[in-house]
Amino acid sequence: MRSSSDHKTIGLQYLWLALFSVFVGMALSLLLRFGLGGRLPFLADLAGGRQGGGTLAVLHGSLMVFFVLTAAPQAGFGSYFLPLQIGAREVAFPGLNRAAFWATVFSFAMITSSFFLPEAESGLNLWIAGVAIFCAASLANAINFSVTVIDLRGDGMSLPRLPLTVWAWFINALLGMLIFSILLAASTLLLADRLAGTQFFSLLTYLRAPHAIVSPNAETQFLWQRLFWFFAQAQVYVAMLPCFGIVTHLLATFARRPVWKERAVVLALCAVGVFGFCIWGEHMFSSGLNPYSPLVFAVLASSLGLPASILVLSWVGTLWKARLQLTTAALFAMGFVALFLTGGVSGVLLARSDVARAAGSSDFVTGHFHLVMGIAATFALLGGLFFWFPKMFGRRLDETLGKLHFGITFAGVYCVFLPMHWLGQVQTRENSSGTLASLGVPIFISAAMVITIGAQLIFLFNFAWSLARGEKAVERNPWRATTLEWSVSSPPPRDDFGATIPAVYRGAYEFGGPMAAPAAAATSAKRHQEDFRPQHLAP
Amino acid sequence: MPGKLVQDDIELIIENVRRGGGGKPPQRDGGDDGSSGGGRRDSSRPGQQRRYQTALVVGIVAILMFFMALASAYIVRRGSSGDWTPIHIPPILWVNTVILLASSATLELARRKLAKGDLGAFRQLWVATTVLGVLFLAGQYAGWRQLEAQGIFIATNPASSFFYIFTGAHAVHLFGGVAALLFVAVRKFERAKISRAAAAEVASYYWHFMDALWVFLLALIYVGR
Repeated sequence: MRSSSDHKTIGLQYLWLALFSVFVGMALSLLLRFGLGGRLPFLADLAGGRQGGGTLAVLHGSLMVFFVLTAAPQAGFGSYFLPLQIGAREVAFPGLNRAAFWATVFSFAMITSSFFLPEAESGLNLWIAGVAIFCAASLANAINFSVTVIDLRGDGMSLPRLPLTVWAWFINALLGMLIFSILLAASTLLLADRLAGTQFFSLLTYLRAPHAIVSPNAETQFLWQRLFWFFAQAQVYVAMLPCFGIVTHLLATFARRPVWKERAVVLALCAVGVFGFCIWGEHMFSSGLNPYSPLVFAVLASSLGLPASILVLSWVGTLWKARLQLTTAALFAMGFVALFLTGGVSGVLLARSDVARAAGSSDFVTGHFHLVMGIAATFALLGGLFFWFPKMFGRRLDETLGKLHFGITFAGVYCVFLPMHWLGQVQTRENSSGTLASLGVPIFISAAMVITIGAQLIFLFNFAWSLARGEKAVERNPWRATTLEWSVSSPPPRDDFGATIPAVYRGAYEFGGPMAAPAAAATSAKRHQEDFRPQHLAP
Repeated sequence: MPGKLVQDDIELIIENVRRGGGGKPPQRDGGDDGSSGGGRRDSSRPGQQRRYQTALVVGIVAILMFFMALASAYIVRRGSSGDWTPIHIPPILWVNTVILLASSATLELARRKLAKGDLGAFRQLWVATTVLGVLFLAGQYAGWRQLEAQGIFIATNPASSFFYIFTGAHAVHLFGGVAALLFVAVRKFERAKISRAAAAEVASYYWHFMDALWVFLLALIYVGR
């Protein structure tokens, strides 16, 4: 029985929470697409009743953005693998880690239940309080991770030897520390406005502004959407950064090549953090935290340009002439790159202000936002899951089912979200989707969506079946990866490394060519055949 | 004890050698006064003690960001509105400020006593600091009551809202500081993960930070009248 403050247990708990949220969120998106919410008694209020239509979409967004995209790549995989990869037995403050997880669960309960309160106004208050608690938990997590990386690295784990996953978690922790502090301040003022009658933010001028509010219901709904996007835009980077790390790590491992220009990648990851914070922070400070100030999605998206190009170049450089092992994990990593590129192109369009003017609820923004932030990040998550599953559970996910799942999902998301971009473009031009609609595009989208979500059942089956019956991962290092977590048994022992923590002698990406193992370590002839050197292999 | 210290130092050197490839050199724990309070027990694992200091630095950055965000809201809100009614700072706040500054002084004195190994004097000064901290909190509460007596509440106007938010948020953080002081005062450090000197150092830096933050907030409120 593992102690509940073990970082591995907590990491898994975050991942379970994310898995639960993602399936609820997907079910909600189906209801949204088909407008079925109104027919289900317990959802009727959300979809079009008292709360005003569209609240269901905010519930979908809240679950996905907070508990899947923000929590899983950072807190989930990070809690589990960050200490393992740097040669630490625990995070710096295990108790804080556990407290942060349970606060996250608490905020999950608050945010979810807030949509079902009989009074929309108090529901909104509960939602904001839930988000504030989520921010506080993320803040605790960020402090914990940054201290862990700074102080708890094992022998020889110098900064240049850190795996890129750790770099990404570390930079993201520093970024999150700043972002969540500011969001916490914003939600404090917001709650004071709503509960104590203060007037930090002048809501009236916002509501009187260009949008026609017809009824109090619509007002609440509008407010809800507005506040959701206010918080969600800050999460763009927090969700993407760890995904960059995971994808780079997977591509190098499966291409059997060192990461091309590893230093540049680290700098690019830093730049993502710095640019993102400067632009978002500048906006926050100049608007005085006002949640009703204009959204900066477009600028945020285009600010990614330079660092993202460096990352993409490095991915291409790593893959160049490599014989990529097409495992499911590698496929998902490749899928991430493809989706990220597609999203990047549409992001450039979005950065044009005349296109972005239609922002808020148009199909174009929905398509873009989902493709880059939602789906791409989910692909990175799935890649990480397929990669680390043997380490976490001692069994392997089924590769055939995994590839089937990948194939349908990859084709499916393009079929859903690319036409959505077209619809959006047509809408902005002629304010109706008549032409495309008559061609059956919306029906095509709906069909593709049903198939794509259906394909997730394959994954669910694969996951459940592999957990119980899957092929045992007898090898410690099935992917022949270099980082420290693969040097221990699967699943890792309670204290991670048993008696002694392995010392680190080399960088994280020593792949390529048959490597003559150092004489001291060449205990078997097989060693000479290996094309990689684990980090703990003595020179 | 001297023999033990030498052995610890050798372990430190070994640690230093084994930590190849540019890792940070292990630092002495507990700041400048690691020799007192039997706090060298964990020095063979530098991260063990240093993590609290790192966490303090990271935490201070986060708290600073929180208050900077509030301050930016304050400046923007004040500049953009026609409904700003300046408030009169309750006079007791100046007294409170002096009390808080004095508590920082007694805190430093206490740490000097600890460095000299004078545990009794350390305790006295440390408790005096804690009492001054509690006095400050009580004084802030009295300040609120004074404002309320004038009919100025949190929702009265934007300036008063910010006044209550600033003082309230600072009080919450300072309350954490008082808890840290109490922790150091009552904790038995013989079996703790952290040495008394290191704990005192972390608590005192946090306290000084709270002190400086209060001066900043007071200046902000004063200038923004």
